[in-house]
Amino acid sequence: MLKLNHLNAFYGTSHIIHDLDLEIRKGEIFCLLGRNGVGKTTLLRSLVGITVNTTGRIEFEGRDISTLPTHARARLGLGYVPQGREIVPGLTVLENILLGCNAREDGRKTVPQLVWDTFPMLKEHLHRRGTNLSGGQQQQLAIARALATDPSVLLLDEPTEGIQPNVVEDIEKSITTLNRVHGLTIVLIEQKIRFARSAAHRFAILEKGRVRVSGASNELSNDLIHRHMGL
Amino acid sequence: METFVIGLSIASILFIVALGLAIVYGTMKVINLAHGEMVMIGAYVTVLASKHLGLSIYSCLPLAFLVAALFGLAIEVLVVRPLYGRLLDTLLATWGIALILQQLIRIHFGFALFGIQIDGLGSDLQNVPVPAELQQTLHVLGTNIPVYRTFVFGVAVVLGLVSWWLIYKTRFGSQLRAVSAARNITAACGVNDKRINALAFAYGSGLAGIAGVLVSGFKTVSPDMGAPYVIDAFLVVVAGGVGHLLGTVLSAGILGEVQSFVATWSNDVYGRTVLFAVVILILLFKPQGLFVSRNR
Repeated sequence: MLKLNHLNAFYGTSHIIHDLDLEIRKGEIFCLLGRNGVGKTTLLRSLVGITVNTTGRIEFEGRDISTLPTHARARLGLGYVPQGREIVPGLTVLENILLGCNAREDGRKTVPQLVWDTFPMLKEHLHRRGTNLSGGQQQQLAIARALATDPSVLLLDEPTEGIQPNVVEDIEKSITTLNRVHGLTIVLIEQKIRFARSAAHRFAILEKGRVRVSGASNELSNDLIHRHMGL
Repeated sequence: METFVIGLSIASILFIVALGLAIVYGTMKVINLAHGEMVMIGAYVTVLASKHLGLSIYSCLPLAFLVAALFGLAIEVLVVRPLYGRLLDTLLATWGIALILQQLIRIHFGFALFGIQIDGLGSDLQNVPVPAELQQTLHVLGTNIPVYRTFVFGVAVVLGLVSWWLIYKTRFGSQLRAVSAARNITAACGVNDKRINALAFAYGSGLAGIAGVLVSGFKTVSPDMGAPYVIDAFLVVVAGGVGHLLGTVLSAGILGEVQSFVATWSNDVYGRTVLFAVVILILLFKPQGLFVSRNR
């Protein structure tokens, strides 16, 4: 579904991702692991085409999208939930969700039912400013906004980072439901090994902008984690 | 009272020009130094259209909006877009465009080289005929109120309301606000942010074009008339608080009235001196401007 070939990514002159090859299959949750600063976020940003320069091939459903602008990639079906949520200030909750609808080729102005089914809580806050919600609610809003783009792949950058434990559980549940029930392919950056093991089908551990280890999630042993993610 | 109405009309012009500048700056963080030339172009559209097509000042309003908007669109796509994120380079480039546009008027779009002169262009000062009904003065409560100045104020109010509606009530507006506040994530939501930039630039320039029509009714039109407007509009935007519509309204109001009253009591030079002093004072005590945008 998503295939990276010899991907290199740069911020200005600093080379972050080195000659990376990766394949994400349809219908799976693919988990990106690794210490801070190894290029996980940069990898996701390269996929959506934000602020990074890339060389190499990014193939999405058989088509090279590496030269397309960000909005065109969103319209093709890449839904992006950035680190730190990035709720648009000054816009209400509803406006934030509707922003996602700009990527839809169909009805365009209506929020898909899937959004309300997944996050019914948002219905109670439609006309508040998005940035006034709590951290956990903002995270759900960010995912809702990405769902409104009607994506076939959802890119999630640490969706449960810095969020109160009971909401973490809700968010984890909705991520698995989106994958298992609604068939969304998901690329997930995650620090919580427990969730990575239970939700993901496959994983890759990055080190210095390269894939160090990858495999099925049942191969994600404690030994690997200590070697590549421990301090 | 008359001074107040004149101040109101100065404020109105300032507001319209500043609004365009603020929309452009707010959306793409570009200071368009050719913005004043959009005022100039609006004024020349009025001169040419009234001389050659016999159009009245009313029909020049939409026409000048369109012409200036097209110029703005061309500037955005051809010059500003390749320079995104390079503030100083865009400043220089747009200043260069400003000079080019002024000279184009002086040399009759280049036709002067072939000895062809177009009536209404060139370095000379031009005047625009104002319809009789706008030249009258109203007598209200023993004071004289020039109708034209009230007309200017009316146009500014309408444009302010239209812009408010456009920014806060339309789909384009919510895209515009989203691009201004968080460009990357907005693009990741499928919004073509470059298209929004171009449209914002065109709309801002179009507003300046309308201001040019209004100005041409009470000031002589000349190729270098635009420059002071960028400076004044920039002062209005900064003093009012960047990214705040109400702040722009208020600061345009204050600065326009200050200039008008001081100019009536003494002269125009003092008017401008006090205007600058007021801006300095505002910025000393409110460095963010009168209104701080809560979104940041």
